[in-house]
Amino acid sequence: MAVVERLGQIGKLLIGVWIAGVAVAMFLVIPQYEGLGNAGRIVIMHVPTAWVSVLAFAVSALFSGLYLWKRRPEHDHYALAAAESGFLFTALATVTGMIFSQVVWGIYWNWDPRQTSIFVLLLIYAALFALRSAIDDPARRRQLSAVYSLFAFVTVPFLVFVAPRIADSTLHPNCAFIQGSKCDGITLEVGMIGLLGDRKIQLLALERQGDVVTAEVKVSEPGLTSETILRPSYDLAAGEMVARPEFPGLRYQLGLEAVDLRANTALLNIEAPGTGLLENRRTLFTFLASIGGFTALFFWLLTLRATLLDAQWALAQRGGSRV
Amino acid sequence: MNGLLEAGTAIYVAMAVALSVWIGIFVYLWRIDAQARALKRELQREREQRPLGEGDAPRASVTRVGRSEGEPVEQSSRG
Repeated sequence: MAVVERLGQIGKLLIGVWIAGVAVAMFLVIPQYEGLGNAGRIVIMHVPTAWVSVLAFAVSALFSGLYLWKRRPEHDHYALAAAESGFLFTALATVTGMIFSQVVWGIYWNWDPRQTSIFVLLLIYAALFALRSAIDDPARRRQLSAVYSLFAFVTVPFLVFVAPRIADSTLHPNCAFIQGSKCDGITLEVGMIGLLGDRKIQLLALERQGDVVTAEVKVSEPGLTSETILRPSYDLAAGEMVARPEFPGLRYQLGLEAVDLRANTALLNIEAPGTGLLENRRTLFTFLASIGGFTALFFWLLTLRATLLDAQWALAQRGGSRV
Repeated sequence: MNGLLEAGTAIYVAMAVALSVWIGIFVYLWRIDAQARALKRELQREREQRPLGEGDAPRASVTRVGRSEGEPVEQSSRG
């Protein structure tokens, strides 16, 4: 027992040193991302906290199921501890995402599908805590919250992985990690209107000079507050983009990825800085170290909180009060 | 003060702030963890040392129903 405890202490000390190392690497080891500068470093914290929150909610659902099966208070304590940790990590992912959003989109919160879905997830788990605090009878509280937790977890994969990817309009840089559904851009015929991210765009004209084709694109801000003309271009001979102007007020660029002059169409896309950032080895290893560190931190928080809940329950049993 | 936010030094300042926050959280967690383990040990020891008292033993009460008229109600209790 003493050996296990000693190993646990060493493990916790390692978590402290490991995450401190990740923090140092985040600022000093990994390179800046093209177009994002130092703001892009936040991804080393943002994505792992989001992933760990999914793990935490899964653990909460697992222990909720175990409680319904075995009816042991310890399982309920672990389920609650995991849900609380998941909520904490989701909040961390949301805050770091908001900071990134302010730097890149120029606004902390713009109800992007990714932001909306994470907000709904926070509300769902906040409702779990409200439910628990509203029921006095411990057995009933445990049973109802276990059932709720299982249903809540059903929404997690949809809200975290599916909803933001099926949304028609998101500025969230999914392409940085997964070549997802909305990384393909939009093909427009001259004169046509479409949505790219949350910007309305209209292809006004295609002009060819030698091998270079320039598209004239009218970009409207969300709410149509202002309009700008951008001119991305494409080299037909080299088969690559040439000019990639930035969206007004954003670090994102408008790219002309392909042109069909016979059909008079152009493939326009958001060129998100950070796309493919994990191709850099130092970034990838720091990112993986961050995931490992935050996962270990989650398990520490889980056992710590569950131990406290066990102690609270034991004290309440001794005192004859309800907790 | 402005020197801290210059391009060359700002990243070190940001790193120092992030590290300080993490060290603060870690120390706080470490202390709570130590106290939680001490509390757990104390409760464990108390549970092991406490003699079985009046309130600790399980109780049961059985009442036979459907008895015949005049037959006394049979009750048994343990503890």
